[in-house]
Amino acid sequence: MTKRRNLIIPAVLLGLVFVAIAVVYFVEPAGSLPSFFPGHEAGSSHHHTKHGIAALVVAAACFVFAWFQSGPSSTAAA
Amino acid sequence: MHPISYLQAIVLGLIQGVAEPFPISSLGHGVIAPQLFGWNIHQNDDYFLAFLVATHCATALVLFCFFFKDWMRIFRGMGRSLRDRQIDPADSDAKLGWLLVVGTIPAGVIGLLLEHPLRSLFASAASAAAFLILNGVLLLVFERFRKRPPRPGDYLGDSDSRIAKLSWRQAFGVGVAQAAALVPGISRSGITMGGGLLFGLSNEDAARYSFLLATPIIAAAGLLKLPELMGSAGDGVRAQALVGAIAAALTTYLAVRFLLKFFETNRLTPFGIYCIAMGVFCTIVFAF
Repeated sequence: MTKRRNLIIPAVLLGLVFVAIAVVYFVEPAGSLPSFFPGHEAGSSHHHTKHGIAALVVAAACFVFAWFQSGPSSTAAA
Repeated sequence: MHPISYLQAIVLGLIQGVAEPFPISSLGHGVIAPQLFGWNIHQNDDYFLAFLVATHCATALVLFCFFFKDWMRIFRGMGRSLRDRQIDPADSDAKLGWLLVVGTIPAGVIGLLLEHPLRSLFASAASAAAFLILNGVLLLVFERFRKRPPRPGDYLGDSDSRIAKLSWRQAFGVGVAQAAALVPGISRSGITMGGGLLFGLSNEDAARYSFLLATPIIAAAGLLKLPELMGSAGDGVRAQALVGAIAAALTTYLAVRFLLKFFETNRLTPFGIYCIAMGVFCTIVFAF
């Protein structure tokens, strides 16, 4: 597999976005989440911790992908 | 009066331990068994979920210990690849490790987002029986459309290097398909073994891939819910959960040993037939 260095910055940015989303899920109750977020429930005080964990996992995947794309170009990468 | 008796805990633990590695849906059997035996235990009861946490943790622990040496090799391989910022094509441990990550992430994310609604929607024993029939049909379909027929000596040589030939896309596809196992009656190991067959693995390699893939997802699901067992939902069932976990650990170990040997020369077909027969039987029993 060839390296796609042009994807490094988008992957890092996407990872940061997902970190931010995770923080929102951890901090804000379901009632205060933006309406377009999965799990938004008007008036609910429940925290969607699992959604936050899912966002963190995706963020980690983005960072790992970027890390491999930044490696030497001679052999395969993730 | 305890919500789960010790006898029930042992039976449910034994069933969980067998049904998790076998491609017959542990969740489906966990829903069907209490109904068949006439026990007043329901899939969505808090104490039952807390009980299941313990049996799942035991299953994951046994799977991890069973493949401990393999996991150590895989972790070292992943460490090498992270250090070098590339995956050496000759390093099958590293490739296998990242294939497992790629297969685990979609299943984990979908599971985190949809587990509760799906569990609520398909919690009845009747729907689990229906999906068990579907699971049986899927297993037969996987065998019918497998990429290549089994060959003598398929199980000889280095299994991991053969599994590591899967592509990233194939690993991702298997990971997404795993999420179907959130529905009681659909088997996670059946889906992953079937995916392996469709992508050219032998039955034994597919089973090994399935067991390795199972460990992180079952462990994560168990650990995430551990607070439920330790919290008020676990009151009155912790001792039974421990007994159930020991029973599950025992049968998981025996089941994995059996299956790795069984798949050296056999196929998914018997499990497909069992699921269809069991699903039809339960559907008839629950209808009357």
